[in-house]
Amino acid sequence: MKSHAAAHPLPRSHTQRRSLPATLVDRFLLLPIGAVIALIWANTAPESYFQVTLPMAFVVNEIGMAFFFALITQEVVEALMPGGALHSWRRWSLALVAAAGGVIGAAVMYFGYLNVKHEALLLPYWPIAGAIDMAVAYYTLKMILPRSGALPFLLLLGITTNIFGIIEVAPRFQVLNVYPGGVTLLVGALGLATLLRAVGVRAFWPYLAVCGTMSWFAFYREGLHPAFALVPIVPFLPHEPRRLDLFADPPDDDATHHFEHEWNTTVQCILFLFGLVNAGVVLQGYGTGTWAVMLAALVGRPLGILAAVGAAVAAGLHLPRGLGWRHLVVLALASSTGFTFALFFATGIISVGPMRAQVTLGALATALGSLLAFGAARLLRVGRFAP
Amino acid sequence: MANLSEWHSLRRLAAALLGFVALVVLRPAAQGGVRLPVRPDSFKFAVIGDNGTGDRPQFDVAQQMVAARRRFPFELVIMLGDNMYGRQQPQDFVDKFERPYAALLQAGVRFFASLGNHDDPNNRLYKNFNMDGQRFYTYTRKNVQFFVLDSNQIDPRQHAWLEQALSQSQQEWKICYFHHPIYSNARRHGSDIALRLTLEPLFTKHGVNVVFSGHDHTYERLKLQKGIEYFVEGASGQLRRGDIRPSETTAAYFDQDQSFMLVEVTNDEMFFEAVSRTGTVVDSGVIQRRPRT
Repeated sequence: MKSHAAAHPLPRSHTQRRSLPATLVDRFLLLPIGAVIALIWANTAPESYFQVTLPMAFVVNEIGMAFFFALITQEVVEALMPGGALHSWRRWSLALVAAAGGVIGAAVMYFGYLNVKHEALLLPYWPIAGAIDMAVAYYTLKMILPRSGALPFLLLLGITTNIFGIIEVAPRFQVLNVYPGGVTLLVGALGLATLLRAVGVRAFWPYLAVCGTMSWFAFYREGLHPAFALVPIVPFLPHEPRRLDLFADPPDDDATHHFEHEWNTTVQCILFLFGLVNAGVVLQGYGTGTWAVMLAALVGRPLGILAAVGAAVAAGLHLPRGLGWRHLVVLALASSTGFTFALFFATGIISVGPMRAQVTLGALATALGSLLAFGAARLLRVGRFAP
Repeated sequence: MANLSEWHSLRRLAAALLGFVALVVLRPAAQGGVRLPVRPDSFKFAVIGDNGTGDRPQFDVAQQMVAARRRFPFELVIMLGDNMYGRQQPQDFVDKFERPYAALLQAGVRFFASLGNHDDPNNRLYKNFNMDGQRFYTYTRKNVQFFVLDSNQIDPRQHAWLEQALSQSQQEWKICYFHHPIYSNARRHGSDIALRLTLEPLFTKHGVNVVFSGHDHTYERLKLQKGIEYFVEGASGQLRRGDIRPSETTAAYFDQDQSFMLVEVTNDEMFFEAVSRTGTVVDSGVIQRRPRT
């Protein structure tokens, strides 16, 4: 493995002070900043906000976000490899159970609330309530429980939960027509990626530029959300196993890490635009969908996670080392923020209109999950609040 | 129970008084108090929105519609969404639609519904809503073509359909109706700007004359916007009293009682009246059809 120390920033522990832009990028803060700007803009000058952002939506959501999902996929693929954090089934099992419990809890709360309110129109959009913003959850928990076994468990939970959501959302892309030939195009893209891998191409550009473009058109033609188009391509890039710390500096620079270095800032800028384009909702637009998403994410999911983990532990599985029930309560609440993924799911399955506005407000409001996690940690004297 | 009955009487009396006061206040805003000409060869219809409560005010409005039909024989009613609130089981279709409008249904009046945010999407299959199972559809009567949209979300399929349907229309009058207003001065919901930027270009490009919406539980007539007349009628069952904050775009409004509209279309003119729950005409006027460009 070659070393390119000069090309990459020093590990965080070696860096005394980071610049503001670097901190914004490292802490995934560009998206919330974009969202806040969007909210203020949409509520002070809605006409100009929508005039600017509606035409940008396709490029940002359907093309730009493909790179975000490529980065996420890269992390997951490496973690699944031998020696990676997710390679062992034992490490997966409890997180998988917790994720299933969280999704079911959120869905039950979502459906239950809509049933009480008799608003059947919103029923198909339950995946929005099940999404987890892994960055927000990670930093919330890291502030409460630094260097704890809770962090990898939370990330496993987040990844698994969002995979459920992506599987549900991808086929529901709002497209006018489905054209034949998409499958052939995708098979061609995968074949070409296999060939590139076989001949030892280590640069990421050919994979993304050629195979990725083919895959994007394949997804689009088949009526699948094209933001997921790089997901089947990324596994063909050369990888090496890594610990599961999505938000830490990568340790070396093989082709995919190089891809990550090259694209991290770009993806953060895309996330800023994503927040700007999608989070602008007129506050008057709240409605049943808003409360349904909030209740499902902030109440249903934590309860579902706790119930599922409780059942799993009763059945013989073990909690991660150093993690007690009080910690788990805080972890479940930290995972209740849907934000990025919830926003993405909302834009993916609901077209422009008041219904999307309702649900988007709910997705934004799930950011309260962080506050709930801090409140619970203080109340239960967990982590930094321990006596 | 006697107290309850007295309470209802008092409420109706208060509503009548408020209606009268509003009439006096609003009169100058109406377009010269033009009344419906009731010509034998014109096309006549009524407009209701946010009606499906099954409560007393919905029945009152329905009674006024029946009374109005004696002098103004409208042949159909357009429904601007939220046709049904709360539970939507078979009995609710009876309680919140068939009973209130029984006299009109028996007289052969047809209702053509659009879907609101409180409507179960499956209500499009209910035969008395005449939606033929579609979320969005079009129909023509005389020289008027109606375009009925599902404004809960304008997906690419609906957008493309509307573009095509409008471009193919040869009728003199093109009237769109859907639930969420793209112009409204009500405080609770107001104008949906994203929807406006999605739909208005199609309306202006293809010469839509008039747009009706509901959602805000008030009556409002807007000043001409890019050549199109906009009405909000979302108070045919529900009411959000005093919700309008009139602005420079408001032409007339009524937010003190439930209401419905009567509309008469001739070759080049569309006459309208907004009628309160007590039968008072709270706004009226005439719209001249724009020449085709």
